[in-house]
Amino acid sequence: MTVISEPLAAPRRASSEPRDIGGIIKLVAVSLIALVIVSPLIVLVVGSLKADRFQILADMGTFRAFWVDNPTLQNFRDMWVFSGALPFGRYLLNSLVILFVTVIGGVFLNSMAAFVLAWGRLPGRAVILAALVALYIVPQESIVLPLLTIINRIGLSDSFAAQILPFMASPLYIFLIYQFFIQIPRDIYDAATVDGAGPFRIYWSVFLPISLPVLATVAILLGIETWNQYLWPLMVTQTDYARPISVGIASFFGTGTIYWNNAMAASVMMMIPVLIFYLAFQRWFVSSFISSAVKG
Amino acid sequence: MIQMSTETLTAGRRRRAPLWGGRFQELGMLLPSLALIAAFLLLPFLSSFRIALTNERLIPRPVPARFVGLDNFQKVLTDHDFWQALWNVARFTVMVLPVQCGFALAIALLLNQKLPFRNFFRGLFFLPAITSMVVVCVIWATLFQYPTGPFNQIVGFLSFGMVQPIDWLGDPAWSMPAIVLLSAWQAYGFQMIVYLAGLQGISDSLYEAASLDGANRWQKFWHVTMPSLRQTHVFVLIITTIQAFKLFTQVNILTQGGPRGTTETVVHYMFSAGFVNQRLGLASAVAIILFFIVLAVSLVQRLVVRDRK
Repeated sequence: MTVISEPLAAPRRASSEPRDIGGIIKLVAVSLIALVIVSPLIVLVVGSLKADRFQILADMGTFRAFWVDNPTLQNFRDMWVFSGALPFGRYLLNSLVILFVTVIGGVFLNSMAAFVLAWGRLPGRAVILAALVALYIVPQESIVLPLLTIINRIGLSDSFAAQILPFMASPLYIFLIYQFFIQIPRDIYDAATVDGAGPFRIYWSVFLPISLPVLATVAILLGIETWNQYLWPLMVTQTDYARPISVGIASFFGTGTIYWNNAMAASVMMMIPVLIFYLAFQRWFVSSFISSAVKG
Repeated sequence: MIQMSTETLTAGRRRRAPLWGGRFQELGMLLPSLALIAAFLLLPFLSSFRIALTNERLIPRPVPARFVGLDNFQKVLTDHDFWQALWNVARFTVMVLPVQCGFALAIALLLNQKLPFRNFFRGLFFLPAITSMVVVCVIWATLFQYPTGPFNQIVGFLSFGMVQPIDWLGDPAWSMPAIVLLSAWQAYGFQMIVYLAGLQGISDSLYEAASLDGANRWQKFWHVTMPSLRQTHVFVLIITTIQAFKLFTQVNILTQGGPRGTTETVVHYMFSAGFVNQRLGLASAVAIILFFIVLAVSLVQRLVVRDRK
């Protein structure tokens, strides 16, 4: 609140000064640039409310792209129609299931491993940590094909597990949490051991509660990554059973006619969950991306 | 130890018990992650080196795969399409870097000033970065529509109708610039916040000292801001380059590498070879080459950053 009210008050205080005009010009300029940048998203939302795909294309080159005469939710209703059309409702639910299981599982698995690496007494922790840091450089793109043969061999092809298990644990996130854990003062750990708590108890009731910032960072980064997966689900899903919405939307392309109205509605539906989280945790989103950058 | 009273013995045991139980617990906490990483990251990574030396297919044939030595690497490195893919990725990098990073820096500089609703604007400018690439493709495919899409309208308007409508994604001359534009729009937000963080790290005293020396805004930008952002520049450059080498989604959806191979990329080449054409050995060779390229770029970053320190 203080952050917002302070710059708000500034122009009012200095309204008689000539600098204020510069401030207004700056504000108008930034607003215009922001409008241009965001306009593709506005066009998308407006387009998703038009029922006629020819109308969408015809409007696209004019300012009517920003306006809809008879807004309809028909395209969104179509997503749940399972006959003939692509079952987008199913794709969306699939994506949400994969998202929640991966993020919740990932946060716990990575933080448990990070705790042991940072504070445990197991021998060889330094070696494991070094190996993880080395593995972090391997790009997902260069392992997907051998991974596909492994997934096929253990009978997980076209499943949810194939889209969850390989991405829950990650060297990057273990390392991010590890770096947070080692900065926690030794006293806190010692105090917990004197009370006779085992490692899991210490992790669960002492370390987790004070580590929310880094856990949120990992949840956000892993969440965005999972939600945007495309190459892997494209290869590993063969039916609608576990197909995520990203692959579903992409399947509009490559066919002769593209149903822009349906594609736009599905795209809006794909954005809504991210937007909800973004609006709720905007500041955490930005700081997450920065911390991934600094560590990267 | 043996002469100890029973009381101290049990006390000692009680203190020691959680220690050993503790180690088992620790193992139980560490193993799930390690097992998943070993099975789904380390194992596929190592086996890609083995597969690259065989003629293995994605769906096994009755005839077992056999060892073919470095044949796959030779095939890849003598394939004109692979070199075109590498060349395209290099072209993409060279085009996207100035557009994306320049725009990101410009917006970061704007947002770093005293401005009403600054957080609101930052949130707005970051919106494309949280938009999935698949969604970006849906939007931009309509923006690039031939012949009546907004881009063609703007070009026609600015040239008073002199320039004919362009088939952005279907014209070999324009396909890559079109991909660059939509990729830059999607990804600049990340660089923007990295630059914002970098700008906030510059001490005010530097600017005050420059003012005392009579520097104007432009001089302050070139002699204070830019040198102070050196680390940020290196980081942004490296990250953008690595991401460029992984270019796949937008190309696979919008152009399938076409027209005439002008948007073929390394990852798309690997995907076509391994998944579409089932030639796993060949694709693994490409994957290994990709890995070493990414490794080399990261090592360059380490060297430059260490140089600085």
